[in-house]
Amino acid sequence: MRDWGFRAILSGVLGLSLLASACGSSGGGSPSAGSSGKPIASQMILGGPPECPTRPFCEKGLMDKYGLTFKDFKPLDAGGPLTKAALDRGDIQIGLLFSSDGSIAAKGYVVLNDDKHLQNADNVVPVGRSAALKSDAQTLLNQIDSKLNTSDLAGMNKSADIDKQDPAQIASDYLKKIGVSTSGGGSGKGKITVAGFNFSESSILAQIYGQALKGIGYDVSYKLNLGNREVVEPALEKGDIDLYPGYAATELEFINKAKGEATPDPAATVKLLNGYLQAKGLIALDPSAAQDQNAFAVTKETANKWHLVNLSDLAKNG
Amino acid sequence: MLRLDATDPWIRWDWLGHHTDVIWQALVQHIQLTGIAVLGGLAIATPVGLLVWRWRALRNPVLSVAGILYTIPSLALFALLVPFTGLTVVTAEIGLVSYTILILVRNIVVGLDGVPAEIREAATGMGYRPAKRLLTIDIPLALPVIVAGVRLATVTTIGLVTVTALLGEGGLGQLILAGLIQDFKTPLVVGLAGSVVLAVAADLLLAGAQRLATPWRSSR
Amino acid sequence: MSIFEEVVRWFLDPAHWDGTFGIPNRLWEHVQMSFLATLTAAVLALPVGVLLGHYGRFGNLAINVSNVGRALPSFGILVLAVPLFGIGAAPAFIALVALAIPPIVTNSYVGMRDVDPELKEAARGLGMREHVALLRVEMPVALPVIMAGIRTAGVQVVATATLAAVVAWGGLGRFIVDGFAQRDDVQIFAGAILVAALAMVAELALAGLQWLATPRPMRASMRWFSRPGRTDELVLQGG
Repeated sequence: MRDWGFRAILSGVLGLSLLASACGSSGGGSPSAGSSGKPIASQMILGGPPECPTRPFCEKGLMDKYGLTFKDFKPLDAGGPLTKAALDRGDIQIGLLFSSDGSIAAKGYVVLNDDKHLQNADNVVPVGRSAALKSDAQTLLNQIDSKLNTSDLAGMNKSADIDKQDPAQIASDYLKKIGVSTSGGGSGKGKITVAGFNFSESSILAQIYGQALKGIGYDVSYKLNLGNREVVEPALEKGDIDLYPGYAATELEFINKAKGEATPDPAATVKLLNGYLQAKGLIALDPSAAQDQNAFAVTKETANKWHLVNLSDLAKNG
Repeated sequence: MLRLDATDPWIRWDWLGHHTDVIWQALVQHIQLTGIAVLGGLAIATPVGLLVWRWRALRNPVLSVAGILYTIPSLALFALLVPFTGLTVVTAEIGLVSYTILILVRNIVVGLDGVPAEIREAATGMGYRPAKRLLTIDIPLALPVIVAGVRLATVTTIGLVTVTALLGEGGLGQLILAGLIQDFKTPLVVGLAGSVVLAVAADLLLAGAQRLATPWRSSR
Repeated sequence: MSIFEEVVRWFLDPAHWDGTFGIPNRLWEHVQMSFLATLTAAVLALPVGVLLGHYGRFGNLAINVSNVGRALPSFGILVLAVPLFGIGAAPAFIALVALAIPPIVTNSYVGMRDVDPELKEAARGLGMREHVALLRVEMPVALPVIMAGIRTAGVQVVATATLAAVVAWGGLGRFIVDGFAQRDDVQIFAGAILVAALAMVAELALAGLQWLATPRPMRASMRWFSRPGRTDELVLQGG
């Protein structure tokens, strides 16, 4: 039983395996030090959520507005632990985080200044189906929005991300603090499904809105970590969900297919947004003062190495 | 290489205590998804299996194709369905049922094949009509292999249900996904351990059922 | 334009064959990772299973390790590797090796156990020393069953490597995961086709290897769907 065929294959396999392991995996790793006369951005790998390359406030915007072309893009998550881990390890040199992220300061990241104003008024705004949000619901949500500000949001994010507190608990603590009740308003006012994007801040906001609505008698259910806007917004249009906490400028640019209408003025941005939403039976309520924009962050070492302060610094040669 | 995060222990019992309802719902959803897949799969695989067993010509082609289809990774199968059925329970169940059908058809055919020819001939000789012989001789004797198939299908499905978390379903897989998204070990550990315990429990339960159903066989 | 036409367009687009996100790179990542992980698992698991089977020790453990392995959700193991080993290729590799080991151990054990004791005695009678008998007599006879285990492990690894895209790795699963995020049905479908095709090619290749490893007289009774071993526990895996 001399199966030479089999032995030949076996040796081939061993040979191939040596070859395969020798051709190690490419990618990752810090670029070489010293100036090479090329734009800094072209020496950096950008990390962010998988939809980043197509988003006007993400890689696409960096390309169009700042003229930046990165060496490569690594799909990770939405400003979450995978992106931060990749930054720390040097798998990426610049990553998308969220401006209200509590751990930016804690981890010593440097957020590059948006000196050309790519980001606009990304104020938190409830987006929902007009049929599901009766006037008392709308009044309540607007009332919450009038009280919510960015430092509140950052503090709540820190509790979730660093202290690992539960978003539901953080939300009910916040509602208690601003004097909105979460129970005792009766029941049977109607069903509302509140959804959140796939990052913890969204879960917190969804819980804040949802628990407040329960407090005035709505029957609230949740679909948290549903996905990104590409998933959540169609679900709202279809009626699978009734409400989600959106971000004004990004919602607008998503709905108008990146026409570039968003401005730093939240009220004007929301007005334009409602212009598009009305036709779909949807409505955006009053924006809050709390903002959360895309923030492009680098490690302190990277910032020092190339003297980075503004995003436009990335276009310089280094 | 090992990252040990002192601020996030492997299990935070206080989190467990506060989330018993979340964990329970995840468990219930997991069992529901598995049950529908296995029972639905059995319902479809039984007539198909019987057909393939009766018509020899179908045997090799059907089982070969089934064997090859079985190698399609679950995420890919779900992905083939998403453009048509969306990120829904329907997509999850179609995918899960497909895998159970592949396993069960194979085991039904192999099990029925394993019934000794002499016994079947003796039954025919005693005047058993085909339908009666099928019900009282063939299927009972094929039962060990069939139940083994149900065991395998159940344990496999319990594992695959966790992948449906990427479709918005997931059962205990939702806890695993939450652990990844929030960089939080407790739900990850709970989801993983729960899934393993569920699979082992189901396997033991079905092994017991297998022994009960065939008392004349020596247990393995 | 139906989705099928769009998918054909997608495959014909040269941009999709270029660069880090191109099909060739993702395919290479996937194949390289699957190959190395399966090989590593085989190197680790074969000696264990073979020796346990040869000496007939710890049989229950060897057989049940694959039952336990089947009960481990591969998605969970992948995610578990992240807090332990970080992100990237390394944790994916470790998780894949861990999932590939059980079927190889079990099948190696069963294969060696099923060697006819008379054969072993005959070898002894011919004056062969024990390790010579193991390598030249027992293992070749056990090879079909052992290869079936490697085949099972290999297919499992290719499948789980698809999922590794969720924990920030690359591979062909990247098209599916990115497609979900971008709601790009065409990319999702195209990615699924690529993954399914690779899985089937891997299965056929490993089946071919198993056929080559089967002694000529036993080859005729091999079927695509059969894996030698206990018939009431057809060792199958999915991912």
